[in-house]
Parts: sequence; C-alpha cells; structure tokens
Amino acid sequence: MPIVELQNVRKAYDTKIAVAGLSFTIEPGTMFGLLGPNGSGKTSSIRMMIGMTVPDSGAVSLFGEPFRRDHLKRVGYLPEERGLYKKMKVMDQLIFLGELHGLDATTASKRAHVWCERMEITEAIPKKTEELSKGMQQKIQFIAALLHEPDLVIMDEPFSGLDPVNAALLMDTLVDLRKEGKAILFSTHRMDQVEKLCDEIALINRGNLVLSGGMREVKSRYPRNRVQMEFQGSDAFLKHPSIAEAKNYSGHAEIRLADGSDAQALLAEALTMATVSRFEVMEPTLEEIFIEAVGENVDA
Amino acid sequence: MLNIWLIAKREYLERVRAKSFLLMTILIPLLMGGLVYGAALANGRSGSNLHIAVVTPDRQFGLDLESELENTKRVDSNSDGEGTKQGFRKVDVVSPPASDTRAVLNDEIKNRQLDGYIWVTPSATPHTRPTFEWVSKSKADILTPSLLGQGIRTTLTREGLGNLGMQPTDVDSLLKPVDLVTEDKDAAFASVYALFFLMYFVILFYGMNVARSIIEEKTSRIFEVLLATIRPEELMAGKVLGVGAVGLTQIGIWIVAGLLVTKFGLLAAGVSFSITPVQVGFFILFFLLGYLLYSSVAAALGAMTSSEQELQQMNMFLMLPLIACSLVILRVVRDADGAVATAFSFFPFCTPLIMYVRIAVHQPPAWQIALSIAGLILTILAVLWFASRIYRVGILMYGKKPNLPEILRWLKYS
Repeated sequence: MPIVELQNVRKAYDTKIAVAGLSFTIEPGTMFGLLGPNGSGKTSSIRMMIGMTVPDSGAVSLFGEPFRRDHLKRVGYLPEERGLYKKMKVMDQLIFLGELHGLDATTASKRAHVWCERMEITEAIPKKTEELSKGMQQKIQFIAALLHEPDLVIMDEPFSGLDPVNAALLMDTLVDLRKEGKAILFSTHRMDQVEKLCDEIALINRGNLVLSGGMREVKSRYPRNRVQMEFQGSDAFLKHPSIAEAKNYSGHAEIRLADGSDAQALLAEALTMATVSRFEVMEPTLEEIFIEAVGENVDA
Repeated sequence: MLNIWLIAKREYLERVRAKSFLLMTILIPLLMGGLVYGAALANGRSGSNLHIAVVTPDRQFGLDLESELENTKRVDSNSDGEGTKQGFRKVDVVSPPASDTRAVLNDEIKNRQLDGYIWVTPSATPHTRPTFEWVSKSKADILTPSLLGQGIRTTLTREGLGNLGMQPTDVDSLLKPVDLVTEDKDAAFASVYALFFLMYFVILFYGMNVARSIIEEKTSRIFEVLLATIRPEELMAGKVLGVGAVGLTQIGIWIVAGLLVTKFGLLAAGVSFSITPVQVGFFILFFLLGYLLYSSVAAALGAMTSSEQELQQMNMFLMLPLIACSLVILRVVRDADGAVATAFSFFPFCTPLIMYVRIAVHQPPAWQIALSIAGLILTILAVLWFASRIYRVGILMYGKKPNLPEILRWLKYS
C-alpha cells in the first residue's frame, strides 16, 4: 500500500501553472526525493499533499485512501520557511504542536525531552524560542514535525541553513526513521545531497515531471559515460574521437564520452603518450542527468 | 472543536502570562482613577474656594449679591450625594468704586490676593439692567462664570420681586430650586452608554489584538505548521475566542477589584443602573455577540493585511459601524420603536448596540429580538468563513495587499 499517491495532480494560480499533471507514489520505508530548481512546483505539490490547498484536478491519496483531514495526524511536516512562536518557551511550544497533532500533554512532553536529547539541544528546553540560535530553532521545528511519530514525514528543503554537523545529524535521523519503516519525502534543489540519501526520486521542472523512479534505476538509464582521470605527459589524447567534451585542469581531466564510444579505447590511446595515475569511468551525477533531461541549467 | 480549544488555550495563556497583561490590568484603572480624581479636583476648585470682589455703585445690590454668592450651594449628583458647597470663600463689596479701584483690583489679581472681580456698570437708561463684567485670572474656568450669572440673576429677581412688594419669605420659597424626579430612563441611558464604551474599548483593544496575532503568525511563518493539521476556520475561531477570553478576564478583574475597593460604592453613591435581570442577560448576550462579530471582522482584516501599518489603514472598517451607532443612539432612545431604531437594530453590525438600547428603553416584540440575534450569529459565521478563506489564499501570496477583485476571486478558490 503506497503511503502517498498523486494521480495527475494539477494546480494553477492566478497567472501561472504551478503543478501540471504530476503523478508518483511513495512506498513505506522509502526515502523519496522531490527535486527541482527553485519555482519548479515542489512546495505547491507538497501543499496539496497535506491539504493546505486543493488540486484543481487529479487525486491525492494518503495511506491508501483518498485524502481526508484526519490523515494529517499521521503526517509530520517541516515547511520550507521555518516559523515558531518567538515569545513561547521551547517546551510549551513543542507540547502545543504535539497536542495539535493529537498527543496529550504528558506524552508530548516526554517525547519532546527524548528528542531534545537526541538532537543535542537539552540546554534550549527552558528558554524562549527567540533566545535560540537559528540552527537550534531549526532543530526545534524538526522535533515538532516528528513528535507525534508520523508514518509520513514531509520536509521541504530540510537542509537549507544547516551547518554540516547539523545537516549530518539530520541525515542520520532521517535514515533511522526510514529503518523504522516511515516514508520520508523531502524536497531540495541541492541534488548532491540527494544522491547519498534517496531511494527514489522525482525530478520536476516547471510543474512537470521530468524523471522519476528508483535512484539506481534512474541512473542506470544513463550510460556510464563520465571519465575522470589524472595523468602526466601529453594531453593530445583529449582530441580522441570518443570524447564529446573534455575539461582539462593541468593533469586532471573530466571527460564526457560520445554516445556508444568505448572508454577502454580512450585509455589505450592515453597510455601511448602519458602516464595515467587514475582512470575512472563514472555514472553521471543527478545534476548532470537533470541538465540533460531538461536541457537547461539548474539554478542551484 | 478540540483544535479550536487548543488554539484558544494557547492564545489565552500566552497573553495572560505576559507582563504586559499585568501592566495593563494595573495601569488602566490607575490611569482612569487618576483622571476621574483629577477632574473631580478641578471641578471642586471652581467657585468653592474663590475670593472675589463686586464693584458696584449700588451698595445694596452689592450686599445682596454677596450673601447670595456666599450661600450658593449646588448639589452635585455625581459625588457622594450630600452636595458639595459651591459657595465663594469671600466676596468683597466695593461701593462706590474709586477712580483707582480697577487698577488696585487688577494688581490684587496679579498678586493672587484676588481670584477675580465683577464690575457692574449701571445702565444709562432707567429700567434696564446694568452691564456686568467678570475679570479673572483663570480663563479656562467655565463653571465660575455660570455660577456668578446664576447668583446675579437670582439677586436681581429677588430685588425686583421685593420692589413689587413681595415678602422676603415668599421670595425665598419662590426661588427654591426644583428637584426634578426622573424615572428609569436616565438609568437605562447610563447603562446604554456604559455598554457602548465598554464595547468600544474591548473592540478596539482586543479586536485589534486578534488581527495583530494573525499578522504575527504570518510574519513568523508559524501558520504553515499550524495549517498542516488544522483548518483556517478553526485557527480563526480559536483566536477570536482565546483573545476574547483575555479581554473578559481583564474586565472581570477590574469589575471585581472596583467593587472590592469601593465596597459597592457605586451603589452607595446613588448611581444605580436599575436594570432588571432580564436586561442584564441581554446585556451579556449582546456584549458577547458584539465582541465576536467585531473580532471576526478584525480577523478578516488581519488575514487581508501583512503588516501592522496596513492594518491601521483598514481600521476604519471596524470603526465605521460603531460611529454610525453612536450617531443614531439618541434617536433610538427617544423613539425605540421608530423606523430608524428598527432598521439599525436589524443591521447586524449595529444590532448589539442598538437592539440592546431598544430592549433597555422599551421592550420590542420578541420576534424582532430573535430575528436580530439570528442575523447576528449568521453574520459572525459568514465573516469567520470569509476571513478563513482570505487567510488560506492570502498566505500563498503574502507580502502583497490584495485589491477588491482579488479578494472576491480568492473566495472562489478552494
């Protein structure tokens, strides 16, 4: 039973079409990446999943049933633009948000303490939100989204504004949640973060689905036509007909092979004139796949 | 319902716990008390403690006016009921005036030995009144000249009646002040005005608080987390109820404290509102409904705007119906079943005030009361629905003030 199912969902605002016929499903225990440049319709899609807006056409199903508001008690949502009550004490705030998600105050308080420990911010508990650093506020909001142990976690750009240490902490937490069988959807325009984390991805651009599927499967659709090499000696082999495009940074070359060409032939050519210390045939990065699919530059 | 309760509870607790609530609760009565005390003090000063002079060529008239002014008493119905002495502390009679009298008196005023003087100039033609001139150091005091005028008029009347041969005792009984006995209408009037200002105050402070709290959530972006579980309707309703409960708490504290401090002093002072229990019931009902309506409007204004400055510009929408009510209220009191009164009492934004006034003055037909209340409740629900619609769409494109066509279009969005 898919946790989320979008069927040909469409949403238009006054002047522009935000989402144009989007379909995908998310299974339990999946880390799902919704990818796309800024303004591509990620947030609009997410808002329809949590009933904040209603699609103009198409259908949203959560937990195998057509969308109902009481499903939302099983969803944890971290909006892109973070916001908390500034004057409220951290614990009061967490309890309030927990109660809104159907917890009683005692349970909410207990879980909030556990989470604060896990996120290493116990010192923030007695403070007012406005006294906290930005990173700490992010963690509080992160906790607020998870307090009610949702089966579906939706996070809009969760890594934006986090330092590397906290971003790693967040990633670890997400991986743990996946192990518990939760479905996790997050959106990002930073494709490099997704490669490590996601099981499945959907790439959207201008409200249209460009690519979707399992991470490995998507990547395997594209030939392993990237070569990175380090060498000493003549670089004349970079003119070899099997090379479609090459960047040479004095001894370090990044090469894209022409379709159907053989990397081994290139290596053989290179060895005739240079000492090759590294020669690696690689699959394209998601970003490269995206650029190829969309045919334009990604606003990273 | 649970969500509305949670929102209202948070709103209430956060506000009541805030230091500003405590400050307001203490400061406002102090301020109001200070104002009332200050006004009483200023009032008490005029007339009662003044030292004045009467300059007249007619010595007898001067002496008569002296005794009249020194004995003037005015019963002040707003104070402790005994009547404060409003006479003048000392009245000097200068008769006839010397050539330097005016200069001497002016000097005395300057040196604060004298508060003022009346200069009487006899008329050139017989049987016409002389002219009276009042010179004083204080230009702002309006009570004293009116007391003086009253005294002079009485003295002249007394003199004239005496000249016609009437006995002084008859003159006294003739000139005795009349106590006008009034019926309940005054009290109804007082309670109506009390309601009006109470409502005005609560709507201004707490209605605007509802709007402000909505704007605050918009700027802090917390609404997105909230809307992920609750409906905008619930959010609006919770806010209106929570903030309203804060207002009622505050007013409740003031009333209880006021009663304790004065030990039911209001009643002792003879200021009774003389409202029946039924009227008290209607008062509470219309007060609550009125608050709900206006704070719902404030919620809609908050949903439409994205900053406090914009909100200030929209204030007019909140104030206009109240101002309209205050303009017709006299007419309604005079003619509680007239066309104006009836029409206004069915206009939902005026119903709380005008229908209450009608009930307080003269019981209108029951069906009219029921109909107006039903209209009021429907309007409240409609305004809340409207506000939540605007809110939901407004957040998707916040930062821009919507114009009217946009607002109408938003209503169609789901």
